[in-house]
Amino acid sequence: MNAQTWWLLLEGAWTTAWISGVAIAIGVVAGLAIALVRMARIPVIDQVLVIYISLARATPLVTLVLFIFLVAPTFGIVMNRNIAGIMALTLNTAAFNAEIWRAAFLSFSREQKEAALACGMTNGVIFRRIMLPQMFTTSLPGLVNEMSFLIKGSPAIAVIGIVDLTRVTNRISAVTYEPLPPILAAAALYMIIISMLLKLQDMAEKKANRLTM
Amino acid sequence: MPDLPAVAIERLSKSFNGIEVLRDVDLTVNRGEVVSILGSSGSGKSTLLRCINWLEQPDRGAIRIGGQRIGVDDNGRRMPARELAALRAKTGMVFQSFNLWPHLTVLHNVTEAPIHVKGVAKKEAVRTARELLDKVGMAHKMEAYPYTLSGGQKQRVAIARALAMSPEVILFDEPTSALDPELVGEVLGVMKDLSAEGYTMVVVTHEMEFARAVSDQVVFLDKGIIIERAAPEQFFTAPETERVRKFLELKQ
Ligand SMILES: Nc1ncnc2c1ncn2[C@@H]1O[C@H](COP(=O)(O)OP(=O)(O)OP(=O)(O)O)[C@@H](O)[C@H]1O
Ligand SMILES: [Mg+2]
Repeated sequence: MNAQTWWLLLEGAWTTAWISGVAIAIGVVAGLAIALVRMARIPVIDQVLVIYISLARATPLVTLVLFIFLVAPTFGIVMNRNIAGIMALTLNTAAFNAEIWRAAFLSFSREQKEAALACGMTNGVIFRRIMLPQMFTTSLPGLVNEMSFLIKGSPAIAVIGIVDLTRVTNRISAVTYEPLPPILAAAALYMIIISMLLKLQDMAEKKANRLTM
Repeated sequence: MPDLPAVAIERLSKSFNGIEVLRDVDLTVNRGEVVSILGSSGSGKSTLLRCINWLEQPDRGAIRIGGQRIGVDDNGRRMPARELAALRAKTGMVFQSFNLWPHLTVLHNVTEAPIHVKGVAKKEAVRTARELLDKVGMAHKMEAYPYTLSGGQKQRVAIARALAMSPEVILFDEPTSALDPELVGEVLGVMKDLSAEGYTMVVVTHEMEFARAVSDQVVFLDKGIIIERAAPEQFFTAPETERVRKFLELKQ
């Protein structure tokens, strides 16, 4: 492999990283928002969210990507490929994250909440100062797991022509007729991205120790 | 309003799933007073305490904190969440299981509510917290996380946390019941100091010696009804009912 193929690979890795990164960032926050709204148990809205979650979790990523990219124009929306890719990944990961956050809400210590109420904290303060920091620590392993699933599922965005880290290996081997080196290199790059996530998980686990009373 | 009682409870009743746990409870706690609530398991002591700061909602009756009705107004309308929280801040609570916030250091457990509820400046909150932690003998552990502390230490931090809001009354729900016997003394010692300093306290406890030494008033709950209330000397030496006599015999 020469410098140019490496450059192409890195470009592909960058595309995978930034598109997944944006979807992860939005998906983590959106998942939290969905879980929050679900905790309020508002009729209709709650049912709608339940349906969304089951649909999004059951739909293969490729299908979701194609669906968004092809359906948007029928509503008169001109959809940029990257945006369609990000939307599909986000819709997918937010549904999984919503379940992770929801589990954290449901298992949160009633005693700690009562101690906060007794000090005069409002629900907003309790959520921000007492619950969220702990929920973040306890949910991080699950969230990171989901992030790595998302990155590993991200080649699905290639179906609408985005040249991500997997797609670029095809392009390279189409020119060089040597498929193995670029695929091995791509695998190494995926591993680097994922291992950075696992590092994050490690840090969270150390911090989680102090939450066990 | 210096002469309004710290807590005034009038005809308080509460049921869980149709079973009456408190019936027509009347109780007045004056400022500077220590009231002990005694009674056997399941008699409704915790429920009574938790109604005072509206952690449980009573079915009937009125509770006033420093003259202000908590939970509902006199027309039965629910209090807005913000007002309820502000009134709760005037009552401190110490739980059997400590309930410290594990993600915060000892210092931050104590400063959290003053800063984020009262809006006290951080520096000021830290200064007060240091004084309070010193008072409960925990100043040397300010930077420690709760999981590193013994039960007695956790409970002393929890007391400092309650004091930090300068409450009008502190509610203690069996503060020493979860402690190893050798750690009970350090917590009761702190509570004795507080009563000597004039703090208003309502204490649910099974520590008879403590109740006798520190209380101004002892109240005995039986199946949700206050069947006896008296000054401690009278309560412990000449109880009026057979029920209390039996209870005290078992505690010997
Ligand atoms: N949230 C609840 N739901 C249903 N029943 C409850 C609830 N809380 C308390 N009870 C019941 O109410 C009764 C009084 O309970 P409470 O906890 O006030 O008693 P207690 O005097 O504090 O007892 P203990 O000494 O064991 O702490 C008990 O029969 C208990 O089972
Ligand atoms: Mg109890």
